Amino acid sequence: MRPAFLSLILALLPAAVVAEESPLTDAQRAQLETLRGEIAAQIQLQAYDLLDELVFGWTEQPVFALETPLVLADVSVPVGFGSGMQALIENHFASLIVKNPRTRVALTHCPQCTSVVVHSGATGTIVSRGVDEPEALSKAGTLSGSRHAIFLDFEIEGAALVLRARITSLEPALPIIYAKTLSTSTSSPALLRTGDRLKSAAEARQEYVNALQGRSLYQVPIRIGVRTYATGSGQVRAAPMPWLQAGVEGSLTQARAWTGSFLVGFSWTPQLHTAWMAQGRLSRLISGTTSSLTGPDLYAFVGGSVISIHGPAALAFQDQVPDLDDLLALLTGGGPDATFGALQLGLDLRVKNRIGVGVYLESLPALNNAPAIGDYLDIGILQFHSLGVEVTFCF
Amino acid sequence: METLLILLLMPLPAFMGRVHDPSPGIFQSKEEARNLECTRLSQAEAHERFPGQVPEPPARGSWAVTDALACSRRFLRIGERPARDEAVLSALRQKVGDITQTASALEAGELTWHVDAFYPEPAVAAKISVAAKTDLVERGRKVSDRVPVLAAGDIAVLWKLPPQQAYPLACERYFAQGVLTERDVFLGVMIVDPRETQLHAGLCARGEWRWLQ
Repeated sequence: MRPAFLSLILALLPAAVVAEESPLTDAQRAQLETLRGEIAAQIQLQAYDLLDELVFGWTEQPVFALETPLVLADVSVPVGFGSGMQALIENHFASLIVKNPRTRVALTHCPQCTSVVVHSGATGTIVSRGVDEPEALSKAGTLSGSRHAIFLDFEIEGAALVLRARITSLEPALPIIYAKTLSTSTSSPALLRTGDRLKSAAEARQEYVNALQGRSLYQVPIRIGVRTYATGSGQVRAAPMPWLQAGVEGSLTQARAWTGSFLVGFSWTPQLHTAWMAQGRLSRLISGTTSSLTGPDLYAFVGGSVISIHGPAALAFQDQVPDLDDLLALLTGGGPDATFGALQLGLDLRVKNRIGVGVYLESLPALNNAPAIGDYLDIGILQFHSLGVEVTFCF
Repeated sequence: METLLILLLMPLPAFMGRVHDPSPGIFQSKEEARNLECTRLSQAEAHERFPGQVPEPPARGSWAVTDALACSRRFLRIGERPARDEAVLSALRQKVGDITQTASALEAGELTWHVDAFYPEPAVAAKISVAAKTDLVERGRKVSDRVPVLAAGDIAVLWKLPPQQAYPLACERYFAQGVLTERDVFLGVMIVDPRETQLHAGLCARGEWRWLQ
């Protein structure tokens, strides 16, 4: 009984081990496929970049004096990658050739060139690709008028992708008449040139720099915001005030690490108040050293402003509780006024320096004793009485 | 409470700076760090390549030496390809460049060059061969895409010999059979021991084989 039981255990053990290993292997394979897909997307762009550079070189210095039929004999992808990438490269290359007639190259269709051909002659029988035995193709009359074949070979060398292109003349000696090695620069992102207006890598990079520098050092921000005021100890409470502001914002350099702005603002609420404001701000980029074209930028800012309020709402911005004289003045048409200074501290999130969202705390030092105004935050030397949010559009 | 909050937030800028550090640490494992390839660039060069990230150097110069470390992840992580293939392919340009430089210095005449690579993995052998051919053409040599082949009987004999004897004998046979003439030169690139990653090369001219490395 016991040996039989042991035999059964031993017989089932490999199956159990396989059953244990299979899900893990599948999971690993799935993860590998995901990674490969992610990487291929990057490689594809880098490969396009190299092809763009190759074809651009031909537009500047054509390989042939006259328009010449050319067979795309082989596209070799990096070891470890599949035929999907091969198809993408073939399509992009064909598209570039069609869009750039200055290359003096015409792609021709020659299925026999890339397929295996069998050629029997006096020296024996040869089995090879068509492009490797051009005399066989020539005798069969299947060269389609083309006498040249191009081979594109891509390989990954560390973090760089290398393209080796060669054009072979389809004659018995198979001389290579053109060869070029192109490599992606270390870490440089693909330049993403358009196929119909090819330009050199240096020109494309310069275009990108120009796009960056094309942004003016000055912008006109239009800002919409709301300020709320903390409730104080008195019976009167300051109502939230909507603001519309406009002005000018400038930076010292294209990096836009430091920016300064000056805005004037207007606020109005029916029956309650009419208010004006002049505000200056100094902002510092804290999410990097230079502003980004692709991601949001976070600025911290400090600012100062002078606010003047006219109307019944101004009663809340005084050091005393409104009395009968104030109300009498209000009824007789001589509305109360309040003018005070404010200090701001806040954060502004900008996207491409076009749209921004900000939040800030504001201190009103002259109103520390105002009964209608409390404070949101007290850090000893400063009390922040107001909290504001705003949206900025820059033009 | 506010003071405590400020104290807690004070180290934040230091941690933010560590996010882009390529060395292993809090934000990056050792394995991830090994899969990075980094190059140190001057600030001017880094600005040219990454204008959005690296600011232009000050026009009046700077007392401090400023540079940038550009890092990118290897396309294929270490371990995704067989170790020997990865070692050969990741430095292919440099390895083949050294070989072709030596070879073209030895045979400077108006010769037609033929190239073949002998490596256990055919896909890698093709890569080595293409790299050598392309490099030779770029050095101004006349290169043929035709690979010289021997008769089946010769290959059957050569197969049984150690590499040190097989390649010189093959060279003699190329010349004796007229596959290569006085005006042809053959560059063979190979690994001699299946366990090594060092590429060797030999030159066959006028029926005489010379090891290059």
